[in-house]
Amino acid sequence: MKLLTHNLLSSHVRGVGTRGFPLRLQATEVRINPVEFNPDFVARMIPKVEWAALVQAADTLNLAEVPKEPTEGYEHDETFLRKMHHVLLEVDVLEGTLQCPESGRLFPISRGIPNMLLNDEETET
Amino acid sequence: MGCGTGKYLKVNSQVHTLGCDYCGPLVEIARNRGCEVMVCDNLNLPFRDQGFDAIISIGVIHHFSTKQRRIRAIKEMARVLAPGGQLMIYVWAMEQKNRHFEKQDVLVPWNRAFCSGLLSESHQSWGHQCGHPMSQGYQGPGSACGCAVCFQGRCDSKRSHSMDYGPAAARTSHEDISKEDEEENGLYNNFGKSFRSWFFSRSLDESTLRKQIERARPMKITEGWANSTVSRQPSRHSSLDFHPQEPFSAKGPNLDEVFVDTTSQSHVGWLGATGASENFRGHEGGVGGGKEGSDFLDATDTRDSVTAGHASDPSARKMLKRVSAFDSTDPKPEDPSYEEEQRDAPDSRAFMRYYHVFREGELSGLLQESVSELQVLSASNDHGNWCIIAEKRGSWE
Repeated sequence: MKLLTHNLLSSHVRGVGTRGFPLRLQATEVRINPVEFNPDFVARMIPKVEWAALVQAADTLNLAEVPKEPTEGYEHDETFLRKMHHVLLEVDVLEGTLQCPESGRLFPISRGIPNMLLNDEETET
Repeated sequence: MGCGTGKYLKVNSQVHTLGCDYCGPLVEIARNRGCEVMVCDNLNLPFRDQGFDAIISIGVIHHFSTKQRRIRAIKEMARVLAPGGQLMIYVWAMEQKNRHFEKQDVLVPWNRAFCSGLLSESHQSWGHQCGHPMSQGYQGPGSACGCAVCFQGRCDSKRSHSMDYGPAAARTSHEDISKEDEEENGLYNNFGKSFRSWFFSRSLDESTLRKQIERARPMKITEGWANSTVSRQPSRHSSLDFHPQEPFSAKGPNLDEVFVDTTSQSHVGWLGATGASENFRGHEGGVGGGKEGSDFLDATDTRDSVTAGHASDPSARKMLKRVSAFDSTDPKPEDPSYEEEQRDAPDSRAFMRYYHVFREGELSGLLQESVSELQVLSASNDHGNWCIIAEKRGSWE
């Protein structure tokens, strides 16, 4: 699971609503996966990222510090873009858990695949 | 959504994709191909709002057995789309060039033999799983192809399909499938039988569906790889092959007869398979939503003239009955053709998959009526499928 994916994930346990984001990440196995750097792509993704969630996740993985905010003129800052490329796309959580901040419910990540299925009792509908 | 083994996750290298499917083993296969994937439920997407620029749903929502669920799936996808983002939905069309579905709700057999031996070799830890021909090309309504997860044992496929996703492979398997009259190949035989054993069903309403789910609850599997609770049938995906050579089936199903088994066989329920108890334990049913079939094709539903026609035996917990497109007379046991039907009975390892096939305009109508946050941009027919592209309205609209 990439951190870009984590940035989109939210708990949908019944009653939790928007308080289900972001999920608290905990990893027991992480791999770095080289991905071709595409600066335009990264630059376009930056505004779509929920920054605080990304910082939090990068932090739990002990990744080199991610700035609290995108720097002004980030579109042309290759160092910044490369760093973000690495954090968003190259870090791969293979084993771990995602925890709903509101309900505490744990979702497993196994073999790089997060499993977000809930029991009937836990779902919204 | 419903990415299956990830056939369409890499069609555009300029796009970052995330594949989602309800079925763990299929997702594992996609993962092993290098795709970013996850397991989740189309009806309860675990995403924050407005995070995606585009979503594709190819051969997915036609597996949901109630109108409410189909709408729910679309609404969930709309929710997670950014304003201006687009959604493409592909579903089986009721109107087919060479054939015509009599009813919109159908149970289609899926046979374990359709499974790829190659996959069962490479994924032994799962026991048996299929990645199956579906990923080689969108079969459309012309075939019974699909993927269902068998929890038991290894794949017994007599014939190994290449799991390569190249269009050549797709074309090959596809041509094979459309040759319904060829008898040489055991697999074709299975398909032929399958076509003849399509069952009519009906869309359920939520309360009926819940009753069935409740009834089947003790049967819920908790074994093996299924860490997650699979309380509903994994939504099956159908892969779409955009290759110009055309892997789509141009032929409709062989629906000269659609029969339902009136034998005294013990409870078959959703599975439609004879003596499928061993499979039943491991399989949630090849249909979207329910596991217990007793009421599923109740004759009490007057909206569905198929079931009203012959099923005058409300106590039958097996809703199978013979419905011929041309002759509505029930065969008698001494009737010679009856025996033939018994031989044609679905293979004991056949699972059933539910399809709600869409009429022209139905999908657009559904969006317009129930998903106002989406604006339909285009609608078209593509080889037996209705395709729709819709855009998420901005809050300014």
